[in-house]
Amino acid sequence: MSAPLAFTPATELAAQIREARLSPVALVRTYLDRVDRLDGTLRAYITVCREQALAEAERREQAVARGERLGPLHGVPFAVKDQIDTAGIRTTAGSRLLADHVSTADAPVVTRLRAAGAILLGKLNLTEFALGGTQRFPFGQPRNPWNVEHDPGGSSSGSGIAAAAALAAVTLGEDTGGSIRSPASSCGAVGHRPTWGLVPRAGCIPLCWSMDAIGPITRTVEDAALVLSIIAGPDAGDARMRPRAPDDVLTRLRDGIGGLSIGVVRELTLGADMDAEVRAAVLAAADVLGTLGAKVEDVSLPLVPLAGAVFMALADSEGAGLHQAWLRGRPGDYDSATRRRLFAASVLPTAAYHQAARARALITREVLAALERVDLLLTPTQPRPAPPIASGQARVTSKADAAARFFTRRSYTTPFNLAAMPAISLPCGFTAAGLPIGLQLAGRRYDDATVLRAAWAYEQATPWHRRHPQD
Amino acid sequence: MADLTPADVRALAAALGLTPTEDDLLEVTHRLNAMLDALAPLATLPLDTVEPAPPTP
Repeated sequence: MSAPLAFTPATELAAQIREARLSPVALVRTYLDRVDRLDGTLRAYITVCREQALAEAERREQAVARGERLGPLHGVPFAVKDQIDTAGIRTTAGSRLLADHVSTADAPVVTRLRAAGAILLGKLNLTEFALGGTQRFPFGQPRNPWNVEHDPGGSSSGSGIAAAAALAAVTLGEDTGGSIRSPASSCGAVGHRPTWGLVPRAGCIPLCWSMDAIGPITRTVEDAALVLSIIAGPDAGDARMRPRAPDDVLTRLRDGIGGLSIGVVRELTLGADMDAEVRAAVLAAADVLGTLGAKVEDVSLPLVPLAGAVFMALADSEGAGLHQAWLRGRPGDYDSATRRRLFAASVLPTAAYHQAARARALITREVLAALERVDLLLTPTQPRPAPPIASGQARVTSKADAAARFFTRRSYTTPFNLAAMPAISLPCGFTAAGLPIGLQLAGRRYDDATVLRAAWAYEQATPWHRRHPQD
Repeated sequence: MADLTPADVRALAAALGLTPTEDDLLEVTHRLNAMLDALAPLATLPLDTVEPAPPTP
């Protein structure tokens, strides 16, 4: 068992395999051993594809021996949120309702990773139907690898855990309102939500058509850029996807950030709801970016505190629309929190929905206007570190309780979902209690390369990505 | 606007063929009232001339 090997960046693992210095079979076994040892507690996985992964690793090893042309992730194990279809392997969306659902085809993102040589290790736990707020997880309670009494974030909980605890080399999550960035922030990983329209949505069980986006959760920014470079690109079956390949996010990664302008969003860094340790870490990160050559300035976005409520009105309504048949016919098969959230969205007045859709347009206009003045926006990913699991399991007891739990924290990530922009979360420190803190950088539509470039520059200048949770 | 009551929410749900339990009903009412309160500030925004189209690229 080699913890350092498991934590090695995927880019380096792939290089070692290409040079025949590392066996894909040994690497798969390394991760399977860690899953066997740690996942009884962490519950990152819903399904582990043990035999298939080992058989695939054998084939990959033979390809190396034959001197075949190898893909950029040849022999490297990956795992995907169990919302993403995989041929012949069940895709549950974290729900009893789909406990026996088996897709007949891989989602395009899985097809692309396999074509790049990566090996599917398994399917990762999530909050039910990617909604967030699940109280009783049907496939096991996911736990934060830095403190197992704390929440790992969601909805791509297992993807965040597996990346941070090295239970896979790289993972995929899906982000409708922060579901990649939240677990990345809570678990101390890197999570990139791509520009909406850059990565095919097909084969992903939907929550909200206009905001769902698949993206990587990894341990390094370069690994996130590599995975994005593989999964992004046109999808002939989806006319709403961008019809051309993305800029090369990998070749621009090391270009430096001299001359970039970065706006620190005042409303999301100075609010009264902000944890003092989180604020200090994020402002320190802004200073680091300044020392690296970026021009850091203050930006005000007065509408973004409304984003959480606007997002929930839109996304929950879309989700409720998708779930009406099951809400009528099988309500008892949902987790109680999911069911109640979808019931509430089902009866939200249509006029309120339309007001929210208009407000989305205004918020988008405000955020995009700011990005005409600066290249990137900087905020904390979340206003507080990961809370105890028990606090999320308590039932909602009043209107004020619901308001306190659901809207404010979502205003940190959702402005960029509403505006269809790319945004990344990466570690920028730890609390005194040892919980990770996430820095968020958001950029212009289809300018994922600049987001990743700034994140990489920050990562290289700081030690946070070299810290790993204790086994 | 006055808060919706559990009876109001039950009637709205029934119109959609949804049957929340008594246990569900109270929490759904809290969630819905919180959502409507959170959206109330939108009434102060200049939304009349804003097209409610998804801003997808």
